[in-house]
Amino acid sequence: MHRSPCDTEPRMFPGIRTWWQRLVTPQPEQPPEIDVWRLHALFNNFKRILVFNNAILEDMARMERALGGEYIFDRAFLETSVSAIASKVHHVTYNLNALTANRYIPLYDRYQEIRTLLDDILSGNVQALAETAVLPLVDLGWELEPLVGMDLVCLAELRHHPGIQSAEGFVVTSEGTRALSAPDQAPAIAARTRITFDEVRTGLAQQLQLLLTQHSHDPFSVTVTCIEDDEEPVREIGRFMLTPCPERSEVAIVPQELVSAGSLPLTSTTVFAHWPTEGSTEPSPAKDSLPVNLLVHCLEQIAQTTAAALVRTENQGGAPFCLFVRTAFPVVLCGTVRTRDVQHLPFDALSISAYPPEHEADNDVYFLRRTHPFELLQSVIPARPDGRRFADNRLATDISVDQGQFARGSALMDLPMLRSLAETAMLLERLYGAPLTVDWELLADATCQVTRIRPLTISSAEAANAANPVSASDQELAKILCQGGQMVQSGVAAGSVVHVSEEMDPADFPPGAVAVARVASPNLTPVLQRAAAVITELGTAAGHLATVARELRIPAIFGMVDALSLLAPDTEVTVDAGETTVYGCIVEHLLRYGAREMDLSPLDREYRMLRRLLRFIMPLNLVNPEAANFSPQGCRSFHDIIHFCHEKAVDELAHFQDRRSDLGAIRTRLMALGVPMDIRVLDIGGGIAPDAGREPTPIHALSEPFALFLQGLSRPEAWTPEIPALGMRDILAGMPRSMNMLTASADTLGANLAIVGRDYINISLRLGYHFSVIDAHLGEDSYRNYVYFRFAGGLADTKRRQRRAHFISAVLAAMDFKVTVKGDLVIGRLKLVEIPVLRSALVALGALTAFSRQRDTGLYSDADTSELFRCFADGFLGDFRSPAAPRSLGAAA
Amino acid sequence: MTTATGTPGSPLHILILDDEPIVCKRLKPAFQKMGYEVETFTDSASALARLHETTFDIVITDLKMEGADGMQVLTGAKESSGTTHVIVITGFATLDTAKESYRKGAFDFVAKPFKLRDILDCVKRIEEKRRDEQAPDAPLTV
Repeated sequence: MHRSPCDTEPRMFPGIRTWWQRLVTPQPEQPPEIDVWRLHALFNNFKRILVFNNAILEDMARMERALGGEYIFDRAFLETSVSAIASKVHHVTYNLNALTANRYIPLYDRYQEIRTLLDDILSGNVQALAETAVLPLVDLGWELEPLVGMDLVCLAELRHHPGIQSAEGFVVTSEGTRALSAPDQAPAIAARTRITFDEVRTGLAQQLQLLLTQHSHDPFSVTVTCIEDDEEPVREIGRFMLTPCPERSEVAIVPQELVSAGSLPLTSTTVFAHWPTEGSTEPSPAKDSLPVNLLVHCLEQIAQTTAAALVRTENQGGAPFCLFVRTAFPVVLCGTVRTRDVQHLPFDALSISAYPPEHEADNDVYFLRRTHPFELLQSVIPARPDGRRFADNRLATDISVDQGQFARGSALMDLPMLRSLAETAMLLERLYGAPLTVDWELLADATCQVTRIRPLTISSAEAANAANPVSASDQELAKILCQGGQMVQSGVAAGSVVHVSEEMDPADFPPGAVAVARVASPNLTPVLQRAAAVITELGTAAGHLATVARELRIPAIFGMVDALSLLAPDTEVTVDAGETTVYGCIVEHLLRYGAREMDLSPLDREYRMLRRLLRFIMPLNLVNPEAANFSPQGCRSFHDIIHFCHEKAVDELAHFQDRRSDLGAIRTRLMALGVPMDIRVLDIGGGIAPDAGREPTPIHALSEPFALFLQGLSRPEAWTPEIPALGMRDILAGMPRSMNMLTASADTLGANLAIVGRDYINISLRLGYHFSVIDAHLGEDSYRNYVYFRFAGGLADTKRRQRRAHFISAVLAAMDFKVTVKGDLVIGRLKLVEIPVLRSALVALGALTAFSRQRDTGLYSDADTSELFRCFADGFLGDFRSPAAPRSLGAAA
Repeated sequence: MTTATGTPGSPLHILILDDEPIVCKRLKPAFQKMGYEVETFTDSASALARLHETTFDIVITDLKMEGADGMQVLTGAKESSGTTHVIVITGFATLDTAKESYRKGAFDFVAKPFKLRDILDCVKRIEEKRRDEQAPDAPLTV
């Protein structure tokens, strides 16, 4: 070491110096123990946070469950639910501040902001939702539905599903068009939106620039839609094409399709927007590029003309409307899908029309079944003139292409494309909640995209034709295969039965089949994306899989006794989730009236309002307490707030002595475990036997979750001596973390702490270079019980740390945890399962804590990870391998 | 003029009153599917007027509404016909309102939100009760 002539101590890295100073500096005297009444107050605040959080989670689940249609509710239910949840969240915020001497005052502000948003939603004030006036279509969520319309939100939802996607583009919300339509008008004082004309122009310019960068020579299509929340979700007003002239100095606004707003046409003239020349402060545009401002100006004109026309014809002071702008690519084929066509066939079908854009009269029409595999029933193909060349360059007189029993001949579309369109259209109908007309385009690069959707109007004559009295008796004659259980998501669907297990590869699940499983495990989520309906023998309407089913609007029944034995694989069935009944055949009558009037649908205002409310109540965005955004300002939902409060409450107890030393010390006791690990315990009441003494042993644990964890931790086989040796590479990879640890506060240096109550534990473990947290509640009320596990860190390089994360996530998934992995951070949650399952999970987590230490250093390949998982599963996951063991809570009242 | 219903074999005649359209919208087809005749109202004045014209077998009424509230409708329905059974539904269920409803002759008191099946079961119980009362050997009641 280099020694400076003036220093009496060696010159070291700052971290090592800090560690050295701690070592040589005499420790201050331990403060006196905290006053017992203050201790009780502290613990009471903490316990109140736990109790309120549990109650809030129950309330949230009850609200979310109402989306499925099982309950008839009205607006009063939404108001009282929001009020009840908000009150409890406020209590949690108060209790955290009481616990921490008001260290989180900004949390009140965040709570109030979210509460005000929810009140705005309840009162129908959508302006507060309008944070961004111009945004890409793919960024739309259900919470923006009142500002952009349900049609665009459904188009945006396609990004979550495989198959045909929507056209790319951007949306100007109703608040954006309001600002565009009145550039001189300041935002209303009462409105909290801060959207200004200039902001909208800036947003338009950004989005147009993005589109132009990708496709500089194509025109733009602009669709204008009026949004009226109460009566009809959307009403299309018109469509325009923005076509640049070859010199790029002008843009023609060409009305493509106009729906009369009232009795007057919106506009029937073509407007040219000239680039300003004399006196313009803008730089001259490049010859080959289209100035973005010119296009922005065009969109302003469309918005202003629309607004004026709506006022003129509807006598309203500004009916809200939005714009959808997309690049209009050259198209080789286009057409529409009508998801319900009742005119031509005596049974339920969908129809797909297709024509080349330049030959609209040259129109193929195909009729397919509305259920998977979307069997082609009939085609109407006009005769083609000899020599006519199709998009794939075939001539009309070419020998027909055999597509498996169906000779293509001169048809414009092949079977795979037809089925893909049908599948996408039916998905959109399910999301929208009503029959639709879906516009589609086939581009030159063979990409198919959906460009818009509109509600399908079925005339009374068509409906009368469809009401075939013969088919109505189908339901009466159909055999009921099984009945009962709990409706999770209403609706009717049909398909072939496929028995699924967690081991099944989702890719092997036939799209459109009816999934039947023993347990409603979160691991079945990928299967739901492909299923027509889902039925389980065990599961609850409040679990994760139920939430997914409601999000996707997949008809679902959980808790149907003996479903696996009563529903044989490959049986064609019709599932009526609303009646919790499964019929042993395809019941056309039921499928035709699938979205029954008695069911709750996205067309109902209350459904849409509930969905909007839940967007600001339920999502958990703050998952990592170590992340920079884990702060009051980072909370975007009520769930974020209570999770933040919980984490900070635990943190406060764990570090109380350092932060509140003036109040005295909270004495923790070192557990005598008999394993090479120290855990200090803090009993908040009922966790440790009163006669335990200074060093409690596992037999003194009165807290059942704690006792179970220790049981697993103490298993000798979990403490294998075969820890891989550390190499130089591992040490170097761990150096930054070592330095961080040396400079960290003393309380983070290897202190494992268990906060235990009668039914509750929070165990934070700092084992070397990794950190894990186990937070669990195990009491008599099954619906309040849960286990939460978080793990991060490690010593080895990134790849091996990720392998260990993968190993841990595999262990959690085997126990039916809902798992999230980000890098080396693993988070797992288990709830709404039977108490024996939670008990087994806690024992397994205890064993995992011992088993996984320093394991990352030995994981050199994925095969090592698999082998490690096999070792652990063989030793500690036996309880989760028994097929007879019930896991999820059964159907409950 | 009041028309009588309740003749043996005739379908149940149900009146639904709730100021929230979604409730009527979802209940009506469910009852129609079971073969009942259903009329729905979203304002209590119209419903009360209708009750004076026609006797209904069952009245399902919300409690908290503008104008005449559910208690008044309950009383009005029982005064119009002693054979009318009334089911009270409410999103503000309390022990006191439940007691008062039963005291005024309600057949059942259902808190919102409720399962469709629960209300259908309630109506089925009324139907069975009515059937038992109309049986030839049923004891006469004064």
